[in-house]
Amino acid sequence: MTAALLGHSLTIVVGGGGVGKTTVAAALALDAAYAGHETLVMTFDPSRRLKDALGVGHDAADREVRVAASTPGALYASLLDARITFDRLVRRYAPDRQAAERIFASRLYDHLSGSLAGVLEYMAVERLFEVASHRRYSRIVLDTPPTRQALDFLDAPSRIVGFLDSGALRIALKPWFDEAGHLRPTRRLGPLGRGVEAFFDRLIGLGLLRDMAEFFQAFGPLFEGFRARAVEVQGLLRAPGTQFVLVARPEEQRVPETLFFARRLVEAGHRLAAVVVNMVHPEGPVTSAAVPDARDGRSLLAWLGRLDARGVETYRTRLPRHPLVDLPLLAGEPSDLVGLAEVRALIAPRWLAAFAAAGGADA
Amino acid sequence: MSSPADLSSVSLLVVTGKGGVGKSVVSAAIGLALYRAGRRVLLLETDPRENLHELTDVAPSGGEIVTLAPGLFLQNLSPQAIIGEVVREHLRVGYLVKRVSASPVFRHFVEAAPGLKELAVLGHALRLVRGYDRDRAELIDAVVLDAPASGHGLALLLAPGLTASVIDAGPFGRMARELAEFVRDPRATATVVVTHAEEMPVQEALELRDALVSRIGRHPDLLVVNALYPPIVRETRADPADRLAALWRQRRAINDRELARLGAEWTWPRLDLPLLPIRRGPALVEALVPALAGAVGGGHRRGSMRSMTEAAR
Repeated sequence: MTAALLGHSLTIVVGGGGVGKTTVAAALALDAAYAGHETLVMTFDPSRRLKDALGVGHDAADREVRVAASTPGALYASLLDARITFDRLVRRYAPDRQAAERIFASRLYDHLSGSLAGVLEYMAVERLFEVASHRRYSRIVLDTPPTRQALDFLDAPSRIVGFLDSGALRIALKPWFDEAGHLRPTRRLGPLGRGVEAFFDRLIGLGLLRDMAEFFQAFGPLFEGFRARAVEVQGLLRAPGTQFVLVARPEEQRVPETLFFARRLVEAGHRLAAVVVNMVHPEGPVTSAAVPDARDGRSLLAWLGRLDARGVETYRTRLPRHPLVDLPLLAGEPSDLVGLAEVRALIAPRWLAAFAAAGGADA
Repeated sequence: MSSPADLSSVSLLVVTGKGGVGKSVVSAAIGLALYRAGRRVLLLETDPRENLHELTDVAPSGGEIVTLAPGLFLQNLSPQAIIGEVVREHLRVGYLVKRVSASPVFRHFVEAAPGLKELAVLGHALRLVRGYDRDRAELIDAVVLDAPASGHGLALLLAPGLTASVIDAGPFGRMARELAEFVRDPRATATVVVTHAEEMPVQEALELRDALVSRIGRHPDLLVVNALYPPIVRETRADPADRLAALWRQRRAINDRELARLGAEWTWPRLDLPLLPIRRGPALVEALVPALAGAVGGGHRRGSMRSMTEAAR
């Protein structure tokens, strides 16, 4: 048994869409299990093939399922479901069951839990926090949701805290309606008030306003709990046992955006363990033609290999202090545990070499 | 949902698909193809990375509409800016506008209100093509929107309907309903899904299709399968040590498998595009225009790989 590549208890794998985060996360988790760690990999809707590989189906939605890998440490996988996590949060902070049911029954809750900005990203961290606090696993790897920009994920908890602190909610929480369903503030104004009420009715519909007021009233008792929780969750992202692995593609055009994110991570006090440059086309023989032949796959691949080599070199120059792990483009995505083990075997030596080159920093 | 929209005459083309499949390049090529067919086109993006600016060789323009040629425009739209504009229009009093826009309540509302940013983007497109802003100099027939990746792209198309179902009255409800009709109407709006012939992007394309069909009764009007490896030529002597040849065979085999899956599951128009040895930039966009002109120019024929490859040589 060798030491695990992951030296920290929590690893968060981040990066843009289509960079291969899920495969990298699963391979790193498999490695930790090989090294004897009880390990959990949490992912958002991975490819069907990877689900097959890990042996998790829909039953792993929000549940940790044992992966049938014969590793010294047990490997578990779970699929993240934002809605289930949100529901659980509501139940936890609602003063009683009726209060929770009132929220679930609201037509606004449906709308909100599905489309509120950053809910998916926030729920991923929230779920990580839940699992981490059980201390059942010595290694947890979180594969983050596909955001347009990796930053969306990082900012999610602070956006939630900011929203809760903004005062918008305090305004929404005021008792706007009386028992008869009339707007309280306009009632006091007599006929003029009725005019104002009619204006609101025309503008947006009193029915909706009533629903909103009811929804926020129901939500009110939960806010303090939510807020305190979001602050704790925010703290977890900066905890000493937490590290980030940034996955990127080698295209030179994507380098500035990756560097920007790496800088933001470090500036915000997070630990950036490694940058994985994934799907690097192999370098061809030096003799290959400078002008590629579009009908010849070899010639195209050699051309892409030359471009990617330049991209990797740029990363190396621009990120001298961070371990840079370059992974070749695979013949195909791993579809079973054997394939995943191959990816892990591919990562391991490159990972160790990258860390040695970066001055022995441990992950 | 009986037949695909005529892409040469719709007002809004929403281009979406999984991250990293070439949405921006395809959006730019569609825009250019429509422009060459005589339409006045706005290329619209909402990503702060300004991919379309890069692809058309234009410096970041801070949200203003840039004229690339008479009848061809480019804009990077910040949804927040559009919402700010709406506030200015409705409040009119400068002092109030400042108070509202600067208030943290307003900023967080814009950030968090479900669907608001999506409505702002669609609303902007609708106003331009319907000519609601009479003082605007640009007359636009078609907006090509380089939309966010599948999940967020779907949210964009669903936002008007969801909002209309929550806000049933008043000007907001009316606006949401108008936009919902706009995206449901095959004479007004078309959806183009871009993918690679690889498992995950194809899976996302199929899921996006299912969601659109069941939620708004629209099938994506065109599927663009981008960056296909060239078909394997019969080799006279296969060298087992030739790693590149092996990788080519393996990657093309994945392409073939996914093309077969699409052949069985995607009965609507599809355009296959080859992987071209051209770096991402204006030249790549230009090389893709002929194939996309064929696809958006009326007929629903599939693009020929051979002619595309030839054009690139």
